[in-house]
Amino acid sequence: MGMERRIIRTTWGYDGNLEPLYEVEDKEDEISVTFDLPRVRKENVEINTTENTVEVIARMSDAVCWERWGSTQKRITFQALRKQIRLPEPIDPEKASASFKNGILRINLPKGRRKVFIPIE
Amino acid sequence: MEMEEVVRIVEEGVVHKNPIVIEGLPDVGLVGTIAASYIVEKMNYKEIGYIESDLFPPVMVVHGGELKNPLRIYGNEGGVVVLSEVAIPPSAIYPLTTALAEWVKEIGAKLVIPITGLPIENRMDISKPEVFAVGNSEEAVKELKDKQMELLEEGFIAGPHAIMLRECYKRELNAISLLAQCFPVYPDPGAAAAAIESLEKFLKLGIDVEELLEKGEEIKLKARDLMRQTALSAPEMQKGVEQDMPIMYR
Repeated sequence: MGMERRIIRTTWGYDGNLEPLYEVEDKEDEISVTFDLPRVRKENVEINTTENTVEVIARMSDAVCWERWGSTQKRITFQALRKQIRLPEPIDPEKASASFKNGILRINLPKGRRKVFIPIE
Repeated sequence: MEMEEVVRIVEEGVVHKNPIVIEGLPDVGLVGTIAASYIVEKMNYKEIGYIESDLFPPVMVVHGGELKNPLRIYGNEGGVVVLSEVAIPPSAIYPLTTALAEWVKEIGAKLVIPITGLPIENRMDISKPEVFAVGNSEEAVKELKDKQMELLEEGFIAGPHAIMLRECYKRELNAISLLAQCFPVYPDPGAAAAAIESLEKFLKLGIDVEELLEKGEEIKLKARDLMRQTALSAPEMQKGVEQDMPIMYR
């Protein structure tokens, strides 16, 4: 809750990174995460996962420079879209796969815990 | 307090009579908002008014050093565009659409066209989104059929455009929602371009969407914050119901 309760919650940082929009979908056997990555080419996307997190760092083809906006940020340049997400349940990082199409990155993360069949007596 | 007073529509320029009114309030994929701003820019529409309400977030916007309301109305003699730079709280939808319908009735609108999106799961695999339409009266549906528009035959529609259709119907105003297949929570300039192309059947603006598609990635980056705000109010807006099957059958 810490992050959400902060008064100022920006989607950009002074470190040159913008936060991309993303969507997490909990499917039966896997967690599917998509990221909207405009201005990004497939070869410039880096994905790192652990059992509980997935991180995307995507370098943009050209840096984005926004000027004359806000008070402190008169001129600010962004080179990459970057986001780390905490996953709703543990996944198996070795079995993860990803695809990139029309600026959308889709990562499929198979769940780590095996299902146990329960017979009905 | 009268319902109409909760939301105030303030005219600030020359408002021509009998226009076609385009509504592009923030909704899925920001389709209407992106389309509406592109139309305003391309048609060089002048600012002719704004909308204020205590139900909207206490936010103003500064453009070129000038203080502005985030909900504004643009237009010329043929067309009027209503747009917003902030997400509309679900509690403001009814008073806002009621006031808007009342106002478009006063200016004698010929037709009201809310532009929005129709979220689909495989949007990333579709290069050219299809546009569906919903009319609010027999006459509107006939016009859609004459213009060979694809009709949304069954289903729920939710959000500002849905209530706008109803409020216009109550005032005997023809309204047509244009819904372009879109990403639910990502800004979708491609869907906005498809919607503008369909709009051409009703309002001959002669707008080339080439630039909108070229600048698509830039727009996506800039629209992230509004998309996020809009997505946050989507559950309360019952957007999920749009994927549901209605119980009635014939």
